[in-house]
Amino acid sequence: MAQTGVIGTVSGLRPRITVNTIRITTIVVLLVLWEVLAAVGRSGLLYKDVVPSSIQIGLAIIHEIFDPAFYHHLGITLAEHVVGFTIGSTIAVTVGIAMGANPFFRKMIEPYLNGIGSTPKIIFLPILFLLFGTGIESKMAKGALSAFFPVVFSTTLGMMLISPVLLRVGQTFSLTRRQMVSKIYMPSMVNPIITGLRLGMAIAVIGILVAEIKFSNGGLGYRIAEYYDQFAIASMYALIIIIFALAAAANVAMTVLQDRLNIKQGGSATRNAGLGAST
Amino acid sequence: MSGTLEISNVSKTYDAGGENPVKALDKVSLTVNQGEFVSIIGPSGCGKSTLFNVIGGLIPDYTGEVTIDGHRIDGTHRDVGVVFQEESTFPWRTTLNNVAFPLEVQGMAREAREAKAREFIKLVGLEGFENHFPAQLSGGMKQRTAVARTLAYEPRIMLMDEPFGALDEQTRLLLGDKLLEIWSTLKQTMLLITHNITEAVQLSDRVVVMSYRPGRIKRVIDIELPRPRSSEVITTAEFGHYVGDIWNELREEASRGMADAEEKLAAR
Repeated sequence: MAQTGVIGTVSGLRPRITVNTIRITTIVVLLVLWEVLAAVGRSGLLYKDVVPSSIQIGLAIIHEIFDPAFYHHLGITLAEHVVGFTIGSTIAVTVGIAMGANPFFRKMIEPYLNGIGSTPKIIFLPILFLLFGTGIESKMAKGALSAFFPVVFSTTLGMMLISPVLLRVGQTFSLTRRQMVSKIYMPSMVNPIITGLRLGMAIAVIGILVAEIKFSNGGLGYRIAEYYDQFAIASMYALIIIIFALAAAANVAMTVLQDRLNIKQGGSATRNAGLGAST
Repeated sequence: MSGTLEISNVSKTYDAGGENPVKALDKVSLTVNQGEFVSIIGPSGCGKSTLFNVIGGLIPDYTGEVTIDGHRIDGTHRDVGVVFQEESTFPWRTTLNNVAFPLEVQGMAREAREAKAREFIKLVGLEGFENHFPAQLSGGMKQRTAVARTLAYEPRIMLMDEPFGALDEQTRLLLGDKLLEIWSTLKQTMLLITHNITEAVQLSDRVVVMSYRPGRIKRVIDIELPRPRSSEVITTAEFGHYVGDIWNELREEASRGMADAEEKLAAR
């Protein structure tokens, strides 16, 4: 709190109002442009319905929210995400800690991880379909694969950045091995692991949606592909906006959670760390 | 709680069998009596840190003997409490929980350890900041937290490695006063490692001047300034004499160290 308050009190309320004004103006301008495009579309210059009017999309959003089928697909995607993310991040935290604790192991496996980590995971999709079929299993595998890398890198880095002075403090206070782990290593790792988990969570969602759009029989990605195939463009946009809103809400929730944990350490340096995440 | 430190004929050579053996300490002998405040001063490369680590039990393979109240040191032990130069408070713990840390790992019950921690927090003048996290404290307050934490450990000997080295001169002088106040209350044996001459004279009963590589004791200077001493002492003529005296001893060593360092850079 001590840190976040500073800007607000020094420079007053004006910048905040300006920022909000710009943000709202941006949305209004985009909506107007969209309507202009939609009008152009209706006049026959674009393919019909490629740009449905925002009213149409709004109605489709409402329709979607009251459609039980939406919740069926949402449930599938969530289940895939929870299972995939849990498996992927659990393995990643374990491997990351092992890499941080054992330089030999790290040297051995790091080139492979760096190599695969910088490859777009989408190229493994066909292999996952072959291995796990086109059902939810391959989506879980994709979620696990996507979540693994940000978590393993963040955990390893966290292990390597543990303050050597704090370890020496532990030594001079004659901590046992177990106490070193529980009192120094583990608390030091809370932040890097949570940062990694947050990124991994976001990237796993992307990975799963991509897999669903590509080849599936259920889930939100499947539903988007289905609307696209039926040329139900307004519904497709509606679903995209809903997913966007859900993702934004999840991100806010994670930010709040992480800030809570960070307040303990008096900082909020990792705020917004996951916003730029992509595949 | 006793606390007599005897260092006799301690030598330490790094990379002894290798290509570039470095003799960090050469037959260093020194006795620090119980309740005494002794500073070790020397240029970078005089073996201060090595001596520090030997006493702290972090370097078990030295030659010679270091004993605390007659017990030889050959590994980490509970007799010495250390305050580091670097920031060493746990960022995820409040002042109270930082200070209670050594008691917590010893298995003391929460109420007892918190009561004890509060005493030491009061002693270092951090009352009212018990529930602050280090990020909410100034550099000087963080170092006082670290000092209180080590005091709470109730070591026989306090070993401080430039505890105020990262702080500005004025804060350092005032914290020196605080440290002397604590020292007179607890009658704790204090061994301070520093390269700040003013700090050494301001605080110590004796100042040990060490030579540049290999680290040997060049001279031991008794500081006979009256006690209790406050930082005002630095304005007196006697204080100036002591500082001048120590600098005369140190200048040659520091020059050698600097020339050596520059030579190494030139050879690169």
